[in-house]
Order: sequence, then structure tokens, then C-alpha cells
Amino acid sequence: MFNEITITDGSAFKVAAAVYGGAFLFALVVLLMRRAYSRTIMFALLCGGFLIQTLALNLRGAEIKACPLGNPFEIAQFLAWSLVLLFFIIGPTFRLRLLGGFTAGLATILSAGSFIIPSWDRAYPPGIFGGNHWIELHAALAIFSYGFFAILSLVSIMFLIQQHGLKTKQFKGIYRYLPSLQQLDLMAKRLLLTGVIVLTASLAFGAVFWVSNFELVPVFKLTTTCLIWLGYLTVFILRIQKKLVTRRHAIATIALFILAMTSLWPVQSARETETITEGLPTQVER
Amino acid sequence: MSEVLESLFVLGTSHHATPLEVRERFALTQSQALNLQKLLHQHEGIRECLVLNTCNRLEIYGIADCIERVEEIRGLFCDKQKVSEELFSQYAYCHSNLAMLQHVLEVSAGLDSQMVGETEILGQLKQTYAAAHDADCTGKVLNRLFEKSFQAAKEARTQTGITRGQVSIGNVVVDLASRIFGKLNGSRVLLLGSGEVSEKTAQALKSRGVGDITVSSRTFENAHKLAHSLGGAAIHFEDFTAQLEHFDIIISSTAAPNTLLHKEVIALTMKQRPERPCFLIDLAMPRDVDPAVEEVENVYLYNLDDLSSIANENLEARKAEIENAREILRKHAWNLWLQLRRRELMLKA
Repeated sequence: MFNEITITDGSAFKVAAAVYGGAFLFALVVLLMRRAYSRTIMFALLCGGFLIQTLALNLRGAEIKACPLGNPFEIAQFLAWSLVLLFFIIGPTFRLRLLGGFTAGLATILSAGSFIIPSWDRAYPPGIFGGNHWIELHAALAIFSYGFFAILSLVSIMFLIQQHGLKTKQFKGIYRYLPSLQQLDLMAKRLLLTGVIVLTASLAFGAVFWVSNFELVPVFKLTTTCLIWLGYLTVFILRIQKKLVTRRHAIATIALFILAMTSLWPVQSARETETITEGLPTQVER
Repeated sequence: MSEVLESLFVLGTSHHATPLEVRERFALTQSQALNLQKLLHQHEGIRECLVLNTCNRLEIYGIADCIERVEEIRGLFCDKQKVSEELFSQYAYCHSNLAMLQHVLEVSAGLDSQMVGETEILGQLKQTYAAAHDADCTGKVLNRLFEKSFQAAKEARTQTGITRGQVSIGNVVVDLASRIFGKLNGSRVLLLGSGEVSEKTAQALKSRGVGDITVSSRTFENAHKLAHSLGGAAIHFEDFTAQLEHFDIIISSTAAPNTLLHKEVIALTMKQRPERPCFLIDLAMPRDVDPAVEEVENVYLYNLDDLSSIANENLEARKAEIENAREILRKHAWNLWLQLRRRELMLKA
């Protein structure tokens, strides 16, 4: 009987999105009841979603024989996966209350949202990285750094909510369970630093390929990626110089993440246009 | 079966019906309370007893061969305390058996306290019980009763919201400071003025780990005295403005007729510490801090009204949980009552 059950990457992605959604709903319902949710349940739910998503990414990776980062759907899934992975590292270490709930929320938006536009998961030619492992590493690191920036934007949202609560003298509900401003601010600083390092490393690996294959890299993609990197670097430098702190720092990191997310679509389109014009071989069936 | 049973009773007065000036007349010192307990224990027909004596209540718990013994206890207490029986009877209450069990459980859980859900009463009750136990004034019945009441109190606290939220100004400040700074051990506190409320607030902060407290007052001696009692330092009142940037929490409660801290001063201070938030607590009347200070980035200003309204909101929320807690305690009281009867602990000798 069990032999008849076949797990496809698509169904595993759907189940993972549902589990993340369940985790987010659980946090929401408990918070609406003005209670603190159980960290163990939240951790278990996110763990379940993460394992299923890992399986899905593995299946997809085995199919395309590369890291699945070939279309917006896969990028969104990989980003959600990176986000949850980072939560597993940051959550238990720094014990930031409610971060699990916020992570579940964003993971749901990314993983379930990527199903909304079916064309996002379009087939693409095999060997998107042309067998070049440096390019594969560059792409994986870039999306992983976006995972850092995703969790950074969540921490910044939590900071703004807590600050709003304190400024407007709100004492009940979510404000009671959020971490302190100092904790959130310190965490934002660390995440920004790590994200910038990972993105810089990703660009450095990408540059190795770009220098020798200048004509193969779309100018739009290169410009946008460099602008995003420059944006985060500027925010980091201003932060170190104490010129962009607390509220403005939180707003800047959220705005940059939104910008980074919205730039993914045109960057991806630019790459695909380039690929089509080059007339690369047969597409992977999906 | 009821004919052969002894009676559990509680006779007492509390803040609910007895005004402060009358409670003062009934109040006992610790040694007087212990003597009364000893005396009652030696009284004929009283097997076990315990006298609970706090600033809000005086209660005599016991088990006697008949409920009529309560009248003798009343007379004995009034004689010793030199108050008229009429006056005592006017304010006193008496509960027996199941009602007494429910009462002691509600007292332990803080449901009967002035600040609903406060935990101080549980500590006082535990202390009184330990002393009565050591003096052999309690036996099988009261031992079981009080031990069960402590368990029930814990359950009522954890399963309902009767302890949720702080209800005193000092603790509300500690909660707010924790929302800003997290752990308070690294926070530096400046007290402006040496008023009682600010002192209590500083003590509450100290109890949560604040180690660095500085006091500044127009009268340097007062500042020095308060600083000494808080284990901190005193600075001259003329100097505090120049040193504001070093402090994370500033509690102001001077009697100054005019504003002490203006927006410009705080804005300048924050430029020197842009990353560190500043928590300003204005406990003065008239206010010491210009309300416009609130507009400065990374500054959180709370005045007496803000803190009181938070404390009152929390108190209201706790009150809303009373019935849930009472229901839990009712089950415990009934189980305890059945246990005492089943195990024949209350049978007359």
C-alpha cells in the first residue's frame, strides 16, 4: 500500500507551507487569547515544516541536478527555508520571544505565496549554473543572505511594534510578550553585520565568474544586486557611526528588504530573457 | 455523623469591612500574636489554632469541639486587647467548616487581598504556619489544611490571570524598564528628589538587579541619606543636568514648582547616547518633565497618571479572573473537606 504513495516535490512544498501556516495560526490564536504560546509547540511545528521543505528542495534539486534557484517559486521556497534555518540558530540561542511566530508568518507568506502565481514555477533549461559550482555557491549564498535580511526585517518589525507600544503607553496583548527594545536592537545589529558579510561573500564568488564571462551576466541583474548590497552596506556603516539607529534603522532595514524582494522578479526575468536569447537547450519537464 | 465532628473555624477582621483606625485597635505585635496563639491552644476545647496577623487582617484559625467556642475566643481576644466586644463583633466575621476552608484558600491565593493576586500574603501565611507548627499549635487538621491551601494557591495562580500584570507603581516601572532594557543589571538609575514613591520605585528596580543608583536632591544631606540606604551615590543638584547622558532610567519626584527637564536638554543628552534609550519617570506633582520630551527619539516618558492607569488596568484584569480562581479553589475546598471527614481527622476524641 505504501509503495503506491509517491511524494512529489510540489506536494511536499504544499505540505510544508501548510505546516508553517498552522504554526502562524497557532501563534496568532494564542496571542489573541492574550497568552504566551508554547515555544516547544512552535519549535516542533517549524521543525516539521522545515524537514518537509528540505525534502521538497532535495527532490527538486535531484530533478534539476543543481541547487533549486532557477525560478521565482524556487527562490521564494529557498528563502523561506533559509529563514526558518536561521530561526533555529538564533531563536534558541538568544531566546527572542515571539520570533518563532513572526518567522512562521513570513515563512507562510513566502512558501504559500509562491503558489499564487503558477507561472512563477515555470520550467527552465537544465544546468542553469552551467556546471559552475562557484556560480551555484554565489546564488545559494545570495539567497541565504536574504534569509538573514528577512529575519532582520522581522526583528525590526518587532522593534517598531514594541517601540510603538511604549510610546503610546500600551501594556496589554502582544506588547507584553515582545522582547525588549535593547535585545531587538542588538540582534538587528548582529544580523545586519552577518547578512552583509554573507552577501559580500556571495558577490565575491559571483565576481570570479563575472570577470571572465562579462557578457553572460545581465547588466540589470548586476546593477540591482550591487545596489541592494550597497544599500545594506551603507545602512551598516551608518549604524556603526551611530548615525542611523533605533527606529530609523528598523525602517531602513524593512524598506531595503522589501526592495530586495521586489527586485528579485525583474532580476529573474532579466536572467531568463538572457537565457532565451542565448537559446539554451531543452527545459526540465514539470 | 455531624454530631461527633469537631468544628473548623476562622474568626477575624480584615481590610474589607474594617477601617484602618479600627484595625489599628485590633492590631497585635508579633509577640502578642504568638502569646495569643499559645493561650488559645491551651484553652479548653480548642485542639489546634493559628493566629494570622498582618497589616490588613487579624484572623484566628482553629479546630474546636464545638462552634460555640468561638464566642469564648472572641471574649478572650477582646479582654487581652482591651477592646469592647460590641466593637469587635461589629467588624468581625466568622466562618466554619467548608466556608472556613474556602476562606483560607482564598486568602492564600491572594483573592481576599487588597491588591488582588498579590503574593506577599502567601509568604506571610507560610511564615505564620511555620511558627505555629514549631510551637506545636497546629496538628493533623490544620497542617493538612494549610499545606493544601498553599498548593491550591499555586494552582489558582498558574491557571488563571489573577497575578498577571503589576499593580504597584514600582513594579509597573520595573515591567516598563524591562520592556526597554531587558535585563536591568547594566542600567544606571538617577533619582531626582528624595520622595517616598521614587524611593520605593528605586527599591523595586534594585530588587530586579539594578546596581547603579545615583540620587540628587536640593538638600544634599537628604540625597546622601537616601543614596546610602539604596547603596548608591549622591550628586549635587546643580550638577545633574551635565551628567544626564550617563543614566538610562531617570526618576523625578522633586517639589519644584517649575519644569526641571526640558525637551532641549533631553534632546541634547540623547545626541550623546543615540543608541541607548532613556526611560523617564515623572512622579512629581506639578510635573518635573516637560511633556514635549516624549517627542524626542528613543525617549520614553511616563508620568504618575500613566503609571496609575496601567496599574489600575492590571488590577481590573485581575479582578475579572477572580471567579475563575474561586472556582478552582472551591473544588479544592470541597476535596479537602471530604478528605478531612473521610480520614476521620475531625472526629471528636
